[in-house]
Amino acid sequence: MTLQGSQHPGAARLGVALLATGLLSACVATPLRPLPTINQRLEQNGSNRDPSLSGRWLALISGRDGRERVELIDLELNRPVPLPGLNRPDAQPLNVSVDAAGERMALIRQRDGRTELALYSRSRQSLQPLPLDPPGVPRQLQLDANGRVLAVQVSRGGLWQVDLIELP
Amino acid sequence: MAAALAVGLGACSLPWARRSRPAPSAGWEANLSRQDPALSGDGRLLASVIERQGRSTVLLQERSSGRVLPLRHLSRWQPHSSPSLSWRGRYLAVIVQRGDRRLAVIEDRLTNRLLPLPLPGGREPVRLSLAPDGQRLALQLVASGRWRVEVFDLAGALELDPPAGELLRTPAAATP
Repeated sequence: MTLQGSQHPGAARLGVALLATGLLSACVATPLRPLPTINQRLEQNGSNRDPSLSGRWLALISGRDGRERVELIDLELNRPVPLPGLNRPDAQPLNVSVDAAGERMALIRQRDGRTELALYSRSRQSLQPLPLDPPGVPRQLQLDANGRVLAVQVSRGGLWQVDLIELP
Repeated sequence: MAAALAVGLGACSLPWARRSRPAPSAGWEANLSRQDPALSGDGRLLASVIERQGRSTVLLQERSSGRVLPLRHLSRWQPHSSPSLSWRGRYLAVIVQRGDRRLAVIEDRLTNRLLPLPLPGGREPVRLSLAPDGQRLALQLVASGRWRVEVFDLAGALELDPPAGELLRTPAAATP
């Protein structure tokens, strides 16, 4: 590769070097630094899946001895917080998401052969069903960090769709 | 009694249902299969994974208008999965396929940089979640036949993406 019209071979070499540097800086691998204290705490859970990070909170689904439950971990204190009324022995959680305040959690779970979408309020310790209109089977979700908008992946008639639900 | 209960439950759930609506159209296909939705922290942007020319590809849109926003580095390395956005959508984290390996990457939409995030030990991510401020990343992996979640520090790699209106608390900014 040469620089057209350049009178100086040094300038051409410099151009090539700058171009190569530019390409590399656009795509340089960044080594990931694990957070050992948090990861050791997570390791004690057994299996963990479907993480949702927001603010100081990490929501996930943890499992031990074949039973799965939703867990909310305060990353500043590195410990789980109680979620009264959220987990129940006859329900299987499928996906979870938390807002940045750690106040609202959106949840998909299976119970009695049905797949349900629900919103949990931590301060009120209440779980409220969120019906889908038109009906469908929810599979994945995410709350925005403000806890005001919920995006849900829904199966309808063999097609995956995304619903947006504005929350009061 | 049952009727009263049904009415009570209906009254409880109806206001939510009224606010549900489909994600904005991408404009080129009516029956678009769309998965893995992710909102920016402020709810302004929506990322999702669509089937485009038979390949699972991340799509970024403004939630209110449906306007499609360009992703400079993510037109290849399909299939894409598990997108995640920061507060104002400066960062889009997603899992891509490079060669025969799955890899987490972050596209910085402000600087147009792409950050590949290889996992220590050559492990591969299954799902991810980026903290809204861009300072932490949670990855779901498979290890010894079970799901596992690990959290990583991005504070040295990414600038903060704070919510709109929140000033960065730097020493310079703190000086009167």
